[in-house]
Amino acid sequence: MSFLQPLLSGILTGGVYALAGIGMSLVFGVMNISNFAHGDLMMLGMYMAYFAFTLLHIDPYLSLVLIIPTAFFFGFMLEKLFINRVIHHPHQNQILLTIGLGLIMSNTALLAFTSDPKILTTTYSSSAFNLPGDISISLPLLLSFLITCVIISILYLFLAKTSTGMALRATSQNREAAQLMGINVAKMSAIAFGIGTALAATAGALIAPTYYIHPLAGHSFLLKAFTICVLGGLGSVVGAGVGGIIIGVVEAMSSTYLSTDWKDVIVFVLFLAVLLLRLEGLFGKKGGR
Amino acid sequence: MKKKFLSVVAAAMLVFSALVQAAPVKIGFINSITGKEAQIGENLTNGALMALEDLRAKGIQVELIKEDDGGDPKNALAAYEKLVTRDGVIGVVGPYTSGCANVVASRADQYQVPLLVPAAAKEEITMKGYKFVFRLNAPANVYSKVLMDAVKVFKPKTIAYVYAATDFGVSTVKTAQENALKMGLKEVANEKYQQGQPDYRPSLSKVKAANPDLVFLVSYDADAILLMRQAREIGLTPKAFLGAGAGYTTAQFAQQTDISNLVVSATQWTDDVNWPGAANFGLRYKTKFAKDPSYHAACAYEAMRIMVETASKARSAVKLRSALKTGSWNGILGPVKFEDYGSFTNQNNHSMLVQQLQNGKYETVYPAQFSKKRLVYPFTR
Repeated sequence: MSFLQPLLSGILTGGVYALAGIGMSLVFGVMNISNFAHGDLMMLGMYMAYFAFTLLHIDPYLSLVLIIPTAFFFGFMLEKLFINRVIHHPHQNQILLTIGLGLIMSNTALLAFTSDPKILTTTYSSSAFNLPGDISISLPLLLSFLITCVIISILYLFLAKTSTGMALRATSQNREAAQLMGINVAKMSAIAFGIGTALAATAGALIAPTYYIHPLAGHSFLLKAFTICVLGGLGSVVGAGVGGIIIGVVEAMSSTYLSTDWKDVIVFVLFLAVLLLRLEGLFGKKGGR
Repeated sequence: MKKKFLSVVAAAMLVFSALVQAAPVKIGFINSITGKEAQIGENLTNGALMALEDLRAKGIQVELIKEDDGGDPKNALAAYEKLVTRDGVIGVVGPYTSGCANVVASRADQYQVPLLVPAAAKEEITMKGYKFVFRLNAPANVYSKVLMDAVKVFKPKTIAYVYAATDFGVSTVKTAQENALKMGLKEVANEKYQQGQPDYRPSLSKVKAANPDLVFLVSYDADAILLMRQAREIGLTPKAFLGAGAGYTTAQFAQQTDISNLVVSATQWTDDVNWPGAANFGLRYKTKFAKDPSYHAACAYEAMRIMVETASKARSAVKLRSALKTGSWNGILGPVKFEDYGSFTNQNNHSMLVQQLQNGKYETVYPAQFSKKRLVYPFTR
């Protein structure tokens, strides 16, 4: 079997992991909060895509136009109502709060949507391209990857070029100094959390056509997003992007050449190795927080 | 005079209380009403409910005490102990999952209250020689046996296994390997996967490279759909996909016609067999709950019917045990008799069925005496 098949399929799956990781990393960078509700926010994105498809008959990829602003607003309000109250508190309080919010979301979803897994079947759900050398590329996965690339580019431009983006980066670098320079850091936190939520929901919506939708589906992605963040360097957007791809490829390679049973072991051994050699992660700031 | 009157009253009360005793018999029912298996648990609840209605129509009164185990063996055991010590039931139907049933079974002899397992597949449950444990459904080894028997005539040569790393997955594949060995099938791939992953393509590509005649799959609900989708994507086309129960026998799976068509699966029950009342049960269930019944519903119905009918005559746990042991029944699950055979004790030697999805509908294709349609082989897209 070709070496290229697992490589390509790993990169494509890794793209969606990356999107989930970037959202988490951005929130950590700006607010210094580990958001343990991130997986549940992804789950909400999955359900939004599902209902947009079944009730409004909108293609899951097109429905992002609706999902992104809705999720941004939801995240913005979450920060205003809950998260900003613990922003200067010890980490354990922040972790408890985000875990609590996540539990409320997943259990509300359990009550409202029941525990029956939902399947989003589009006309292209199981279609694929065939490349020479017996390599097949999943069409929905490729589309998800391309959309991920577009969204990451837009995010990059936003952070690099706009004044809000620069203010976000300034807050991420040094909250107090940014405040002294006249940046409204409270507003920046709410924006960062909104963007993080929108990215999580987007990742959820992108994976929905190739995965199944369940109130607890976000939990397996939470651990992945967290691993990606730490691997890439907490707070680093580029690091999270690269981290996502690395994890996708390592998973695909280890299931192909070893066994599916071992893939998590390989991922976490790699993770530990990175932490031992570079405590700040691959792209983290030396001597950071 | 007064004393005489009192003794008459006392005697009357005794007679009266004896009459009261002839009223409802107490039976317990342990099921996974909440938790991960809740979807299947609902089928069991509905089946048991219908059995009670039918029994009442026949004039048999029963007091059913329901307990939820949430799919957790610890809760199942606590529920069983509560039922037998506090509620004083004389028989228990349940629990659903293999894990729960296995734990509860290990205590039934200690409390001497008969346990009738309706749908748990783990072989061990009736292999330890427990006197008070009875099982209605066929154990795990029959799943793979009946599937391989169904395709035997086509003389397949190689087999690949793709299965979830769970108790059910591992034990079913273990017995499948023994059956395959007897049939002279060569194992060319063995892919155990962790549930809930988004990407099974690497495992499936490996299976594709090995080019097996048969692909034997064991997975739960949604994973079955994911696996078949990705199998289609990468172009995995064996001569037959054999799905052992669970995820390959649901209505949701059947709806995905472009990926599920011609998948073969094993089941305990279908509504088109000629077992007395099977078709009628299917029909009534659909009208009542607006859903197709799964085999679990039929198993729960039959288990509840057998338990209550027998218990209402036996009236004590010990008598109930001997009545279950010696009795025989014939209903929607075919002939039932709890026998000792091979290494099993009190096991109903239930004949499982093989069904194939043809145009979005499960059609029974094996054994020949129960089937109207023929097995389509080899598999095509």
